[in-house]
Amino acid sequence: MTNYASKIVLVTGSRRGVGRQIAEHFLAGGATVLGMARGEAGITHGQYHHIQVDLADAQAIITAFMTVRKLVPRVDIVINNAAVLTSQYAMIMPPAAAQAMVNINLLAPFLVSREAAKLMRKTKWGRLINIGSMAVSLEPVGDSVYAACKAGLSTLANVMAKEFGSFNVTCNTLAITAIDSDMLSQLPRDKIETIIAALPIPRFALVDDILNVIDFFASERSGYITAQTVFLGGVN
Amino acid sequence: MVERPQILALVLTAVQALNEERPADEQLALSDDTFLFGEGAELDSLSLVSVIVDIETAVTDQFGEPISLTDDRAMNRAVSPFTHVAALVDYITELLSEKA
Repeated sequence: MTNYASKIVLVTGSRRGVGRQIAEHFLAGGATVLGMARGEAGITHGQYHHIQVDLADAQAIITAFMTVRKLVPRVDIVINNAAVLTSQYAMIMPPAAAQAMVNINLLAPFLVSREAAKLMRKTKWGRLINIGSMAVSLEPVGDSVYAACKAGLSTLANVMAKEFGSFNVTCNTLAITAIDSDMLSQLPRDKIETIIAALPIPRFALVDDILNVIDFFASERSGYITAQTVFLGGVN
Repeated sequence: MVERPQILALVLTAVQALNEERPADEQLALSDDTFLFGEGAELDSLSLVSVIVDIETAVTDQFGEPISLTDDRAMNRAVSPFTHVAALVDYITELLSEKA
C-alpha cells in the first residue's frame, strides 16, 4: 500500500465505479480526498470531502474550486476520472449526447486541471493524472466523439506538461481497457468481449491494474515522467 | 460597494507574491504607477499570468464572485488594463461594480 498520508487528492467522478475505487485507494493510503460528482457522496470517511458539482457546467467547476480553497490549503494530486459515454453511430448520435461528452470528458478535465494548477503553482509540486481510454487506439464504431474526447485528453496533458513543468507539476494519461463498471454496462456485451478477445492480454482490466499506474504517476520518484500516455493491456 | 483601495491592496499583494520569486535586483515597486506589461515594463508573459491568477483567485474568494480578467473585453480595450497597476485596479473595480 502506497503511503499518501501527507497528500491531498482530488478525484472527479468519485461517487461510483472506477472513480470511487480510486478515491478509496487514496483514503486507504492515508490521503485527504476531495471527491467531485453530480450526485451525493457515496463514500463515508473522516478524510473524505464531497463536493457536489455538475461537471458539465464550466461555471459550476469554477465555483466548486472556491469550496476547495476553503476546505484545504492545497491540492497535490488530481485524478480526472469523470466521464460519460454514449455509443452510437455518428449519423444518429443525438447532439446533446455529443455535447455532454465534450463537456464532461474534455472541457471539465481542462478546467479542473487549470484550477488545480493555480494551487499547485504555490507549492511547486503536483500530479495531474487523466483517465483515458483504449478507444483512442481501437477507434470502435459508435465511439467517434468519446474516442476523440479521450484523444484530446492526452493532448491536453501533453500541452499542460509544458506549461506547468516549471513548477514541478507532471501531467500524464492512463488509457484504461474495459473494466466491469456502470459505464460498460451501457454497451452490448458481445461488442466488448470481441474487443477484449483481440487485446494482447485478452482480459478485462482489474482495478489494481489501474491503481498500479496511478501510483506510478503519483509517486515522488515520477517527477521526471510527464506528457506520457500509458495504455493498459498491450493496446498501443 | 467596491472600494478602490481594497482592490489596490489585492493587486499589490499579488505583485508582492511575484516579488518573492524574483531576484533582489528585479523587484517591482508596490505602487499605483508600477508598470506591469508592455513597453517600459519588466514582466514577461508568464509572470503576468502569475499575477493575474493570484488576483482572480483573491477577488473570487473575497467577493464570492468569479471574475475573468482576460476575456475579450479586456483584450479589446483601447488601453490595456495590464499596462500598470492603476489601470488594472480601475478595470477590476469596474468589473465588480457592474456585478454588484
